[in-house]
Amino acid sequence: MNPFVSRINKQSWVMPVSGMCLILGFMISLARVTQTTRSSRKNFLSPDQQVRVNEANVDIDAFQRMSNEVSKLQADKTRLEYSLASQGGQSKVLNDSLQEVKVFAGLTKVVGPGIVVTLRDSQKDNAGVSLNFGIPSDAIIHDVDVLKVVNELIASSAEAVSVNNHRVAGNTSFRCVGTTILVNDIKIASPVVIRAIGDSDTLLGAMNMRGGVLAEIRQTDPGMVQVESVKSQELPEFVGNTTRKFAKPPRVVK
Amino acid sequence: MILIPIFALMLGAFLGFAFHAPAIPGAYGQYLAVACLAGFDTICGGIRAGLEDKFRQEVFITGFISNVIIASFLAWLGDQIQIDLFLAIAFVLGARLFTNLSLIRRYGLTKWQDARERRRLQAQAQTVASAQPEPNP
Repeated sequence: MNPFVSRINKQSWVMPVSGMCLILGFMISLARVTQTTRSSRKNFLSPDQQVRVNEANVDIDAFQRMSNEVSKLQADKTRLEYSLASQGGQSKVLNDSLQEVKVFAGLTKVVGPGIVVTLRDSQKDNAGVSLNFGIPSDAIIHDVDVLKVVNELIASSAEAVSVNNHRVAGNTSFRCVGTTILVNDIKIASPVVIRAIGDSDTLLGAMNMRGGVLAEIRQTDPGMVQVESVKSQELPEFVGNTTRKFAKPPRVVK
Repeated sequence: MILIPIFALMLGAFLGFAFHAPAIPGAYGQYLAVACLAGFDTICGGIRAGLEDKFRQEVFITGFISNVIIASFLAWLGDQIQIDLFLAIAFVLGARLFTNLSLIRRYGLTKWQDARERRRLQAQAQTVASAQPEPNP
């Protein structure tokens, strides 16, 4: 140790360091990430990172448990209806028509021939991602694309449609939130697999129609669309919300 | 003695929370985070210099300010030219932080071991002295 350094000088680092520590502590408290700053920082992520952030927010386990629960209850209900029907002829007729209605409403699984349409974001280089200039909007699949394809499939007499294994029922909605698409308020991401049950040839024709719904997407990048017909496929039942608050059947006046 | 800067750090953070200073949103918050890293590195360097008896106040304070400004500027520049320059900053400053902290630890350890050794030798000397017979008057 240097004897020529005075004791006062030797101690003198404490106060300046403490002063700067005070400032640093204040800076850290300003730089902390809160709920509000987190969402504002999300905009600085690249789109593919944002997709992952959005997906991380979904409680996948809880969703899985709930949809398992719903399909179990649906199956139970069908079984009970059948057992009720086995007791008498009248209830059998009633049950038959009930099952018919449930198939129409998408509340049971259905099996049949049809087609599979796969839409995916463009993999081409020139569809590259740039933060400053935004993503070229044609290169990714939008909710509108899904909506148009589903609409066209139903219009060309598809009897049941599902999007990424979410059954399209009477109150299904397709919506865009940020970089993901919501189907029945459930987030899905590219690739979007749309399955339809119906006459394969008719459906294929509708999809490959010149100037049809897929023509515009194919113009951007043919690799974004894939259409194939299948001999048999199973579509899941609708597991979304079926409760109603306001709509009631009108009273029958005898 | 080392506790005073730590208390000051806590006090600074406490002041920020106590006055409900709004957290900086968006990219500026990230620049500030990089600046915090630079500031922390400078403070560790200052403590190390203090332990080495090489501490100079004006060097330390200008170093703190310029490091903070340069780090946040580089982070900003990186965003402008689409290169993650802040990774470079985090890498360099992180490496320096570890060096400084390990040196501080070594100084502290050496000091503590020296003190223990000194006490042991003193105790030994005392026992030897008491064991010796009193010199005849």
